[in-house]
Amino acid sequence: MLRYLAKRGITYVFMIFLTTSAGYFLAVTSLKPALLEQERIPRPTPEQVANSMRLKGLDPDLSPWERYVEWLTGIVTRWDWGRSPNGAFVNAEFGDRVWISTRLFLASIILTLVIGVALGVYSAARQYKFQDRVITSYSYLAYIVPAPIAYFLVQLGAININETVGERIFFVTGISTPGMEPGWGQFLDMVAHYAVPTVAITLVGWGSYQIAQRQYLLDNVNADFVRTARAKGLTRNQAISRHALRVSFIPVAQSIAFTIPAIFAGGFFAEKIFAWPGVGSWSIDAISLQDVNAATATLAYGSVIFALGAILADFATTLVDPRVRVQ
Amino acid sequence: MSSETYLEPAGPTSHSAAERLQVAGLYSPSDAVLSVRDLHVRFNSENGVVHAVRGVDFDLMPGKTLGIVGESGSGKSVTSLAIMGLLPPTAEIAGSVRLMGRELLGLNDKAMCAYRGNDIAMVFQDPLSSLTPVFTVGAQITEALTIHNPTMSKQAKEARAVELLAMVGIPSPKDRLKAFPHEFSGGMRQRVMIAIAIANNPRVLIADEPTTALDVTIQAQVLEVLQAAQEETGAAVVMITHDLGVVAGIADDIMVMYAGKPVETGQVDDIYYDPRMPYTMGLLGAVPRVDVAEKTSLVPIDGIPPNLIYTPTGCSFAPRCPLVSDACRAGEPELLPAGGKAGHKAACIKSDALGGDADVLEIFSAPPVPLSRFDAIPRGERATVLELKDVRKHFPLTKGALLKRRIGTVKAVDGLSFDIREGECFSIVGESGSGKTTTLLEIMEFHKDQDGEVVIGGLSNKEATTGKVRSAMRRELQMVFQDPTGALDPRFTVYEVLAEPLQNAGLGNRAIKKRIMELMKLVGLQPDHVNRFPNQFSGGQRQRVGIARALAVNPKLVVLDEPVSALDVSVQAGVINLLDQLRAELGLSYLMVAHDLSVVRHISNRVAVMYLGKIVEIGEVDRVFDNPRHPYTRALLSAIPVPDPQLERTRERIILKGDLPSPLDAPKGCNFATRCPVFEALPAAKQEKCLTLEPPLEFVPASSAAQALEAGRLPSLDQQFACFFPDGELDEDMLVVHETAEPHAP
Repeated sequence: MLRYLAKRGITYVFMIFLTTSAGYFLAVTSLKPALLEQERIPRPTPEQVANSMRLKGLDPDLSPWERYVEWLTGIVTRWDWGRSPNGAFVNAEFGDRVWISTRLFLASIILTLVIGVALGVYSAARQYKFQDRVITSYSYLAYIVPAPIAYFLVQLGAININETVGERIFFVTGISTPGMEPGWGQFLDMVAHYAVPTVAITLVGWGSYQIAQRQYLLDNVNADFVRTARAKGLTRNQAISRHALRVSFIPVAQSIAFTIPAIFAGGFFAEKIFAWPGVGSWSIDAISLQDVNAATATLAYGSVIFALGAILADFATTLVDPRVRVQ
Repeated sequence: MSSETYLEPAGPTSHSAAERLQVAGLYSPSDAVLSVRDLHVRFNSENGVVHAVRGVDFDLMPGKTLGIVGESGSGKSVTSLAIMGLLPPTAEIAGSVRLMGRELLGLNDKAMCAYRGNDIAMVFQDPLSSLTPVFTVGAQITEALTIHNPTMSKQAKEARAVELLAMVGIPSPKDRLKAFPHEFSGGMRQRVMIAIAIANNPRVLIADEPTTALDVTIQAQVLEVLQAAQEETGAAVVMITHDLGVVAGIADDIMVMYAGKPVETGQVDDIYYDPRMPYTMGLLGAVPRVDVAEKTSLVPIDGIPPNLIYTPTGCSFAPRCPLVSDACRAGEPELLPAGGKAGHKAACIKSDALGGDADVLEIFSAPPVPLSRFDAIPRGERATVLELKDVRKHFPLTKGALLKRRIGTVKAVDGLSFDIREGECFSIVGESGSGKTTTLLEIMEFHKDQDGEVVIGGLSNKEATTGKVRSAMRRELQMVFQDPTGALDPRFTVYEVLAEPLQNAGLGNRAIKKRIMELMKLVGLQPDHVNRFPNQFSGGQRQRVGIARALAVNPKLVVLDEPVSALDVSVQAGVINLLDQLRAELGLSYLMVAHDLSVVRHISNRVAVMYLGKIVEIGEVDRVFDNPRHPYTRALLSAIPVPDPQLERTRERIILKGDLPSPLDAPKGCNFATRCPVFEALPAAKQEKCLTLEPPLEFVPASSAAQALEAGRLPSLDQQFACFFPDGELDEDMLVVHETAEPHAP
């Protein structure tokens, strides 16, 4: 197993290197931070701009290949991902942003998965009954409603609760109240900040898992091996829960690989609406600020998350499906 | 719907359904383990109510075997699932099913669970999908024990699981407990299914087409295991099958079903030797025999079974019956005593006239055996239409993601040479994995980079550098595929299907139209059906369309890949007769691949037996089948069940051990050594020869063959085989003879 994981790991490192390099070339040829500098007042001379850029390692006069070599050398030798046009160090900025994103999404990803799969099983067992129709209709609705609108609705709901109670229970934006003393108060403050975004993202997210899990389970309910299990003397429900469930989870486990990176890197709306300055909003900002190094770094981060998701999915699949276990 | 709909028409012995049930309850034999009375099953479908089972009665005595025979859609599987309580809840079931005196119908799922897997167990058709892929074999066997013996200790359950696996013949059962189903072959999985079924010593074992998905050699193994399991547990067996050969040797009683109803029941010998219902007679005549050299046409049963949405007003077989008269359409005949033997009943008003010497070929007006103009010309003087010279197809087996290392070679086809002459049918037989299909693909590939030479109608693949040569080759050779449904584009009308090859050949529209009408008549389809889509035809008709498509460009050679294996027995006979007739009329040559050796014997002139990519025996079909020399051919032939109960009961069978080995493990010498019954019994010195030297394909020694020819025992000298010790003793462990005393001596 370890050898297998190591092998997959090496493959993914190679893939991350390729996507990041390609991304860097795209960014370095299309993003021109020097143009933005000229909108400053007083307008700097082209020499001044070139100088300041050169100091930050963003020399516009070098060819893309030269800049790529310089940038790559920095990463390989010093783990230095370069600087932004405003002089900020990508490394420092990146660390903060990743931590914020992780905090924002981790809890909701886990909740989404658990609730989605559980509801999928529940609704499959009650196919076409009232509960199934309600749950599955909700899931399709969550699919259709654009995420930002759903987030706003949850925010409005939280504000409503605050107003009804007459006291601010939930914070609808922000990460934490500055200047809190460590201890019980700080923990409550954190929960109050966490609740709204987590609930919003989870409510929108579980629909796809519910629909997938319901469908795969229904595909297996009439499988030959479920009939065999019933012929042994299990009731229909026992046969389904013992035999069909695990088989139906295999394709769901594989799909995790592709949803986790989408949530992490595509969390732009959530980060903007709830004012959590994470990686998603940073990547959009970096492009609008013509920031080559930051844009590439967010891309690299997306690839890493994707690789982690894929390895996780492999791991989960191996756990539930003995057919793919490597000898 | 009222219960009146399925009542029999008034007659001297008819009763209402309720009366019949009561009578049945009173008079059903008290020692029967399973008594089914007046079983009816209805399904709601979008088109209406399908009355799938319409009144089945039978009694199963302890330790006896009942064979239920019928084609697809006859209601035999639905009957078994109704008994097990495994039909979907939407199915309406009426009647009575008594297991050891207790009524099973009407029990809810939970109450039924006390019986299922305990007193009554079932083995299903498709072993590949019937085991849960994510649990170990051991866990799945133990589960069957746990459900009915909750107090059993873990060690006891494991010991019992090992014992069961050993009983069904799985080597090193203790280690195999931890294996997953995908690590087992189809035959092994079916053994596991049997082990699960007999885990709790059931009184009744229902086997629903248990060997249909398996190779003949594996079928023989599994049937053997089923019989052993029956002896071990003393269970009564219900054997459901479409193959009259499979049940001939093992059943005590037979029930023939048609359109949801039993049409003939009786003891096995009465059904096979004195059938009294035209459908049974047709079924028996429709199956070619592997053990009979004399060629007669097969009995074709025209038409298709009725749609069970509409209740038949007369005899359900009337639309297809050659003896039909107005009286047959007046009402559905009841199952009445026929033939004079106890227990023999037939649902036919003419059963008395069908006794004894009624000739089934005459009744069904089977066509005469067609004669080809080539039959009179000696083989050596006919032109060669296909020749293979040392054709090889090796697949490299590689390992590694980026840098591929070659770790072995799969020799799918390894040095094949044969030729086909004009007007001849040449067949290739062998188990799945023996390289039959790869051979066909290599012929169809026709590329100059192939290993070996393929010559089709004088065109060699070595010259096939231009598209012109290849399209000329396609006019010489066409193919008919196994699955007629999958091989026809569902969105093409028959006209478009048939026009495509003709357009490719550059014919004008008028010529195409004329040719299509000709083709439709040629394959026995109505020319005005050309605008229909494939799904408006039955399976047999679709295969006829496939044959017409192949014949469109007037090829000399037609490649038939399992042409009838997807068809029902009665339909199969019609297609085989058609193929025979076309060969004679058009002077075609066939290259056929088939796993059904009876069909091969019926239609072929020459045959090659393949094993692991090599031909092990080749020659004139009667010669190879009547005097097989290679131990593999002998085993293959002995594994085929024959629809003749007396012969089946006394026949000596060679049961090969295990499955076809992986081509990777092929031994250096003779490929077959690992499973060879002769090899097993050889002294060590001779075994050495088999293991180190590869036996060449050689003619039968001239002197002994000439003697045999003179004595009239052999029809010709055309036979080659690859074995050093063809006359060696067979290993006794692999020989099985069921010398059961005649159960129904007259």
